Amino acid sequence: MTVTFPVKAASAALHIEALVVAHGTTRVVHGLDIQARPGEVVTLLGPSGCGKTTTLRAIAGLETPLQGRIAIAGNTVFDAATGIDLPPERRGLSMVFQSYAIWPHMTVFDNVAFGLRARGAKRAYIADAVRHSLESVGLAQLADRPATRLSGGQQQRVALARSIACNPGVILLDEPLSNLDAQLRLAMRAEFKALQRQLGLTAIYVTHDQEEALVLSDRIVVMRDGKVEQSGTPAEIHDAPASRFVADFMGVRNLLPCRIARDGGHLLALLAGGVALPVRGPAPDSPVCIGFRPSAVVLSRDPVPGACTATLTGATYLGDTMQYELAAGPLTIHARVQARFAMAEGAAVYWSVPPEACFLVPA
Amino acid sequence: MRAENVLGVGTTAVVALLVLPPLAAVAAGGTAGGFAPLHHLDIVGNTLLLAFGATAGALLIGGGLALALVRGVPGGAMLERLVVMPLYLTPLLTAIGWSWLASPHSGLINLLLRDTFGLPLTVNIVSPGGVVLVTALAATPLPFLLISDALRGIDVAMLEAARVHGAAPLLVLRRVTLPLLLPAALAAALLVMVQALGMFSVPAVLGLPAGFPVATTQIYQLLDNYPPRIGEATAWGGLLLGIAALLLLAQSALLGTRSFATITGKAFRPSTKPPRAKVLRAGFAWLYVALATVLPIAALLWAASVAFATADVRLMRFTAQHFAYVLFAYPKTWIAVGNSVLLGALTATLVSLIGVAVAWVVLRGRGRGRPVLDHLSMLPLSMPAMVFALGLLWVYVRLPLPIYGTLGILLIAYVTHYLPFGVRAASAALRQLHPELDEVARVSGATWLHAMRRISLPLLRPTVIAAWALLFVMAMQEVSSSILLYSSRSVVLSVAVFDLWENGNPSDVAALGFVQLAVGFVVVGLLLRARRDAALA
Repeated sequence: MTVTFPVKAASAALHIEALVVAHGTTRVVHGLDIQARPGEVVTLLGPSGCGKTTTLRAIAGLETPLQGRIAIAGNTVFDAATGIDLPPERRGLSMVFQSYAIWPHMTVFDNVAFGLRARGAKRAYIADAVRHSLESVGLAQLADRPATRLSGGQQQRVALARSIACNPGVILLDEPLSNLDAQLRLAMRAEFKALQRQLGLTAIYVTHDQEEALVLSDRIVVMRDGKVEQSGTPAEIHDAPASRFVADFMGVRNLLPCRIARDGGHLLALLAGGVALPVRGPAPDSPVCIGFRPSAVVLSRDPVPGACTATLTGATYLGDTMQYELAAGPLTIHARVQARFAMAEGAAVYWSVPPEACFLVPA
Repeated sequence: MRAENVLGVGTTAVVALLVLPPLAAVAAGGTAGGFAPLHHLDIVGNTLLLAFGATAGALLIGGGLALALVRGVPGGAMLERLVVMPLYLTPLLTAIGWSWLASPHSGLINLLLRDTFGLPLTVNIVSPGGVVLVTALAATPLPFLLISDALRGIDVAMLEAARVHGAAPLLVLRRVTLPLLLPAALAAALLVMVQALGMFSVPAVLGLPAGFPVATTQIYQLLDNYPPRIGEATAWGGLLLGIAALLLLAQSALLGTRSFATITGKAFRPSTKPPRAKVLRAGFAWLYVALATVLPIAALLWAASVAFATADVRLMRFTAQHFAYVLFAYPKTWIAVGNSVLLGALTATLVSLIGVAVAWVVLRGRGRGRPVLDHLSMLPLSMPAMVFALGLLWVYVRLPLPIYGTLGILLIAYVTHYLPFGVRAASAALRQLHPELDEVARVSGATWLHAMRRISLPLLRPTVIAAWALLFVMAMQEVSSSILLYSSRSVVLSVAVFDLWENGNPSDVAALGFVQLAVGFVVVGLLLRARRDAALA
């Protein structure tokens, strides 16, 4: 793919401060702060109803916040204190909608050209920019096709081409891949990532899919009930969730209350039923839970020094891996191991978790 | 033959017999009339002016109302119901009401302007402009309904996408919203234009006194003379039919195969914008409700209950004499009430039955003639009622059937004219019913007839009852074909009103018009009440 798309030297950045959005009398976003640096993908991640789409629509100007400030490329587009509220068309953005929102009465070309025409670009420039954006999503040959005759994946690409054609400061994406089937979703994810890196796009990406967030983001903002629960790089969010909520949302199935004890220079997490797991510091001073992923559990049939005993109570075949449930006294431990490590239910097993795979979160 | 096939063949035969003979008669008779319209090009011009003017007006007002109400205004639910009130109101009464409001000498508005405020202004509704305006007001609900539906079907994300990609609201309207509404608007335009071409009562009441005859009033006058000049009248009918056919062709040429199925995304959400715009939009809707319904009806009531027309409160004398006259002295009132109620009930019942049958055969049947039946049953929508009545005259005057001059011929005219409404209502309901509901009954061992009786018909019942009520009210108020087909024994209420209008005291007309409204609403009110009681029991 050869792209000679006009890339801005430095894409604009986004700055959100103390944003409050209400629907009627219920506040759906409470005091949100988000920053996006040029060329960065910031993902708003959270379950449905956490306020992520509302935040995106507030950035776009499709909803009017109650309080706070939004600046795009250094220009304030909304400020409750001074009453600034630019309409969507004057914020210099573009957006990919969940339903794609491809206009059915236009051709593919007209769809992609819309933003440029609306902003009064010259004909020659429009033709050029539209061709480039369609090329970059691999749809150049469909320019003259009516938009009603497109498959789901093609509509998605047209929506993407439309959003990059007008060279926006920030691209907003509202769960853009959620209407595609699993295979296409993976392909589009990779394509979007490549395109974003190539063009240095700044993007705010809304999703409820943690894997999508990990793959695409430079930074992830995990949202819960209209607030930021944790924000950080994908690695930080994945490896060191700051709360039970984030841990749970990131697929940490083992989250167990524990006490912390000192054993010489090491820390030990004491769980119910006399189970003790070594963990790394620093020692917290409030009640905690220990968390580890099923894939971090090491299983063995034979006794291993430092391993705990358990009975295997459930086994689920998942193809490459096996998912086991272990009963260790009053605890239920979830483990996921290579499928060739097959064991029968009722068997006695020994399990352990490497200290570096464990983390502590406030209970 | 299986029951299913009997239904298919039988329904097609009934619909074809209803629709085709009168049409063929007008098409054939239209050329026999010596091309009468060619000698009255001014009347042809008037007819076209009314058709295009009223269509433009109704589309603008109806489309504007749809756009105003869809994003939510204060009192929106009530406004949506009030805005479609003219569907239940014959334009004959609206026109008479308006003549009380704004006829140049004695209209209430002009009395107020001239005598009370002393202003040298006159609002003259008895004029070509008045005819166009009142017709447009009466025809507005149809475009409003069709365009509202289309608007609700639009994925709001499409409009938001346009905003985010740099289009200001007006540009969004021009480049996205209006083009997406085009198919619905064209469909509405065709319906309104046919309605305006065939509009008789408004031009008869407000146009003829102002020297503004149109094709329908011409047909009426040609047949009202002795001897009736049926050939010439049919030539005018042929002209209307030809124009309607051209419109149909123009519509399909304009639309082509374009249909934007956009019903994918989220519906319109209430706008979060400041309330000033909402109040403005609600105000526009209230203005329409006032002009199309409240003012003319209030004028009718006022006219029916005062001794003489004056805007001076000190001189106003209220009297029951007009109501007393039409209820107890006017000989036609009670015959007409009986005929109208009987005809309304029979029409509504037959149209509902045939409508369900047609919808079933077209949507669920397996016969090859389904598209033919579909088009045939919709044909009356593109034909002015008066043209149809003309065709019936030709057919039944010649046939040795004792139908001419009876309620029977009126019934045939009504059933045919309102058939598309019954079919539309039944198909809409049937589309909501998953075929599996019926199929599972068949698989469980029920015969087709049994499944129909126990599953599909009971599920369709609520819609059919609602459609029945609307059809009853519409049939009660039909003017255009009744005026050609009635005899002294088969006189109906709307004809009696028109008759009084031509020959009687204008206040008595208002009183009889009120009686007509009241009969319709009382019957429907009783029906809805019985239905509610049945639902509660």
